[in-house]
Amino acid sequence: MILNLERFQAQAKPRWQNLELLLGALESRPDRRLNPAEAHQLQELYAHVAVDLNRVTHGALAPDLRQYLERLVARGYAELYYAPPRRSEMWQPRRWLRIFTAFPETFRRQSRYFGVAILITLLGCAFGGLAVRYDPAAVDVLLPADYLRNPDQRVHDEEQGGARRSKSVQTEAAFSGQLIRHNIQVALLTAALGVTFGIGTALLLFENGVLLGAVAVHYTQRGFGLFMTAWLLPHGVFEIPSILIAGQAGFYLARLLLHRSEDRNVRQRMREWLVLVAGLAMMLVWAGIMEAFFSQHHAPVLPYGFKVAIATAELVLLILYLLLMGQRNIDASALSSVPSENR
Amino acid sequence: MRDTSVTRASTAVELTIATPEGVLFRLPLAGPACRLYAMLFDIVIVLATVNGIGLLVYWIFAKAPGFGVMMVGLAEFAIGFAYSALLEGFWNGQTIGKRLFHLRVIDEAGLPLRIEQAWVRNLMRVFDALPFAYLVGGISVLSSPLMQRFGDRVAGTLVIRQTPLSIPGEESWTRQKYNSFMEYPTIAAHLRRAAIPELASLIQDALRRRNQLAPYARREIYRELAAYLQSEVSIFPDELLERLSDEQYLINASGILFGDQRPSRVQS
Repeated sequence: MILNLERFQAQAKPRWQNLELLLGALESRPDRRLNPAEAHQLQELYAHVAVDLNRVTHGALAPDLRQYLERLVARGYAELYYAPPRRSEMWQPRRWLRIFTAFPETFRRQSRYFGVAILITLLGCAFGGLAVRYDPAAVDVLLPADYLRNPDQRVHDEEQGGARRSKSVQTEAAFSGQLIRHNIQVALLTAALGVTFGIGTALLLFENGVLLGAVAVHYTQRGFGLFMTAWLLPHGVFEIPSILIAGQAGFYLARLLLHRSEDRNVRQRMREWLVLVAGLAMMLVWAGIMEAFFSQHHAPVLPYGFKVAIATAELVLLILYLLLMGQRNIDASALSSVPSENR
Repeated sequence: MRDTSVTRASTAVELTIATPEGVLFRLPLAGPACRLYAMLFDIVIVLATVNGIGLLVYWIFAKAPGFGVMMVGLAEFAIGFAYSALLEGFWNGQTIGKRLFHLRVIDEAGLPLRIEQAWVRNLMRVFDALPFAYLVGGISVLSSPLMQRFGDRVAGTLVIRQTPLSIPGEESWTRQKYNSFMEYPTIAAHLRRAAIPELASLIQDALRRRNQLAPYARREIYRELAAYLQSEVSIFPDELLERLSDEQYLINASGILFGDQRPSRVQS
């Protein structure tokens, strides 16, 4: 039996147009909230148009009309079944400041992935350190950059250069910008490589560990242990943990993807990943500033003991922040009992 | 509760969603090419914005160019991510480039995407852009049944094509004043009853595309359709056929099938 298309279209046109108007108004609101009257109207129009679509689909008469109605139903469906975030979540600046407490809370909640990241980095360190310790030839392979291979030259340059030309604050500022950008990019990649089921994350962490271990042993062997500690630690105490946290985020993501089907509250889970990434980005901004403005000044200007003391103080503050800030003892199970909104 | 299944048609990939009300609708998915164009357009916008801000920053930091470089470098990096994430999150899943190319990002379940999803899919660009020119993302799009790059897979999002549609206009031939088929109400009623929907829409499509067909193709198609109708569905007498071209035959048939011209009305 064939639908009388013309009559049908003439009858239904007003409600299609009404729905289109209503949807246009709703979609232009960033928070997508609708008042009760609109909700009622939307529900009613949506139901009617869905029936219209079914009639056209089964008649299979008018591909254009079917496409048009499908589009309307899809848009109506999206508005009707979407649970918009509470207004307070989006427009209150105070909620945005919550990142400073949410970051350590999330860090503690997902600490086992941090443990995995530390373990892999330590393995890398041991591998790199032992290789350099027992096979000096390994230095050429493990440390690609020339300045890492020749500590004597490098230390000489740094100490002399630092004394000779006091680097201008301007170059340091530009340098710090570069550093921050590069470090965040590497950390973000480490966190994103979780999609390779964590394999990419593990490889990056391991490589980082090898480099770290090899440099440490190499410089210490040549008797520049103190110089190196004072050179690397003021920014390293933020940089290294932030890469570890990137690894944590990566492993967390890998686990999230592997267990996606059984995990109902994916939205909350993704937020945890985002919070970790945002937190480590903040840490890297600080690390970049320290590296450019502080770490590059050496002995006569800044005594090594002072630099190491600053580094220790930073580390203590960081640990206190990560372990104590925000609410204590947040249960992971309490979070998963939050009703799922999206799926 | 919400069933989603994927169908792959010959011309386009689409996602079919079954709503709890038992309605099926299809969403056409966007291919890699138009997404690439949209992205290039967005990159141009971001670069223009960053350079505009850069001029301002260099002017403010004229005494301290190093800080200017630092600020611009960081701003470029941050704006690169924030531009897409914030626009997609708060502007109905579209960046300026996507709006221009009629693309839209949505949740896999057919719902609007959330701000978290927008951030995740855009931060994942660092992986999709590997090793150069979005190779990983491109391969992922081509190999994924839902045309998702890795960022989309992680965030659970899709990019759909959303060309603006308007209510299709009524066809002129259903409203013609005189239809010679009405002189034979019994045969016309039979035509109306016996034509299957596929055949009816075939006739309508053939008429609708009249001006897109080359003359010889049009003649041939109309001749075949009219001959098929005449021989298989309803047989109108020869004296009527002598007066009608194949095209007019189809227009009349379509008027009977779709129009408000009920054959019974002529009898009364």
